[in-house]
Amino acid sequence: MERAVPLAVPLGQAEVFQALQRLHMTIFSQSVSPCGKFLAAGNNYGQIAIFSLSAALSSEAKEESKKPVVTFQAHDGPVYSMVSTDRHLLSAGDGEVKAWLWAEMLKKGCKELWCRQPPYRTSLEVPEINALLLVPKENSLILAGGDCQLHTMDLETGTFTRVLRGHTDYIHCLAFRERSPEVLSGGEDGAVRLWDLRTAKEVQTIEVYKHEECSRPHNGRWIGCLATDSDWMVCGGGPALTLWHLRSSTPTTIFPMRAPQKHVTFYQDLILSAGQGRCVNQWQLSGELKAQVPGSSPGLLSLSLNQQPAAPECKVLTAAGNSCRVDVFTNLGYRAFSLSF
Amino acid sequence: MDEVIRKRLLIDGDGAGDDRRINLLVKSFIKWCNSGSQEEGYSQYQRMLSTLSQCEFSMGKTLLVYDMNLREMENYEKIYKEIECSIAGAHEKIAECKKQILQAKRIRKNRQEYDALAKVIQHHPDRHETLKELEALGKELEHLSHIKESVEDKLELRRKQFHVLLSTIHELQQTLENDEKLSEVEEAQDASMETDPKP
Repeated sequence: MERAVPLAVPLGQAEVFQALQRLHMTIFSQSVSPCGKFLAAGNNYGQIAIFSLSAALSSEAKEESKKPVVTFQAHDGPVYSMVSTDRHLLSAGDGEVKAWLWAEMLKKGCKELWCRQPPYRTSLEVPEINALLLVPKENSLILAGGDCQLHTMDLETGTFTRVLRGHTDYIHCLAFRERSPEVLSGGEDGAVRLWDLRTAKEVQTIEVYKHEECSRPHNGRWIGCLATDSDWMVCGGGPALTLWHLRSSTPTTIFPMRAPQKHVTFYQDLILSAGQGRCVNQWQLSGELKAQVPGSSPGLLSLSLNQQPAAPECKVLTAAGNSCRVDVFTNLGYRAFSLSF
Repeated sequence: MDEVIRKRLLIDGDGAGDDRRINLLVKSFIKWCNSGSQEEGYSQYQRMLSTLSQCEFSMGKTLLVYDMNLREMENYEKIYKEIECSIAGAHEKIAECKKQILQAKRIRKNRQEYDALAKVIQHHPDRHETLKELEALGKELEHLSHIKESVEDKLELRRKQFHVLLSTIHELQQTLENDEKLSEVEEAQDASMETDPKP
């Protein structure tokens, strides 16, 4: 909870408004800069804040280093998803994708490089874009969200090349399978679909809720998070967090976590997951819970691992969710400190 | 305060230790040069010699201490370099161990993936048994199809025999009918022939 403002100071309207804003803030997305020293976080008011990780992690960090270096209004609606290329930050919200230059963003008053909207079926539709995925080999970006389709956009020309249809309800998350190369998408309709990028066709469908071992009908069938490791995939949300073997489409390990998970990722020999609950959970592939590290937000929506080779001293895990704070874990065992909007 | 200074100057007026000895030596040399009697001069001379040897001794000690300090410094330099080397070595070992940790984590991950798949596979029945069951079923199928074939052959045979029988009966019927018709026609002819020759 926020520290109480001392009553002796007369509160101006602006301060009250700011305090209320921070109380009700949700951070939906995070992205690390290509140099590894900065972290961008996008919240539900459409603002993006850039934090300096190297300043906050250095030995002479003060309270100001935990505040953003710059905050600006990026979108009119919430910033649901962000991703970084080697020079740009791409952010997506209600219906549009904007690009920003990392080098420019640290100066105040920066403008977006471009703003594009994927072709929707009707011009009245403004569906939110829930997930962005970069495909480095083709230099393209995949967007997916409320209109139940996956759009591919070429980053050089800005044209929308493909539309992949198949989901019957909106899409929550995307993952990239390098070996094939295929894209996995999971959505509200409870199915994880694998799409081959070259033929633009759906190659495999896994309907998670139809498998008895992992389905939890009282939570629903929505797939909230996906991560893949070429042969294996882990997905969670309404059904239990499960590890799947993709070639045989069989669920191999069910992780005993009651709360629906909103973000999951593979890291070394562990699976990290976070969701409705304070903690970042670390699982072994065999299904054992290795550690549960509590964060400072009541619920977590996104995890980000800074593995940029240019900044090995900023190699941290950051977690953000239903609060205005981003927790920084320098070592997976405990929360070192929190950055705050 | 002045008392202290005065006392200090009195005690230490000529400088401390060796410095004072050298000053005293110079003073006593001058006194000796100016002295009169032989015995006093001799005793003073002896005293001066002892003071001189004391000074030489002290100098020798200082030189040795200086040497020792130099060698101590060298020793420390050597130890310092050794420690630096071992620090660098430890850094390398740490990097090596980190690589080994990563490797071990990869191995553990592979093992766990293998275990996960193995568990799933165990749920399915053994391949040998399934193959045996398949063989047995195949044999049964063959056997049954043989029986079916033989039954069908019998059926065909019977059908043919019945066909032959029925066609023979049919022919016989035809022949009988034909014969009846013929005999009717003959009777009719006979009757008309009988009526005709009467007139």
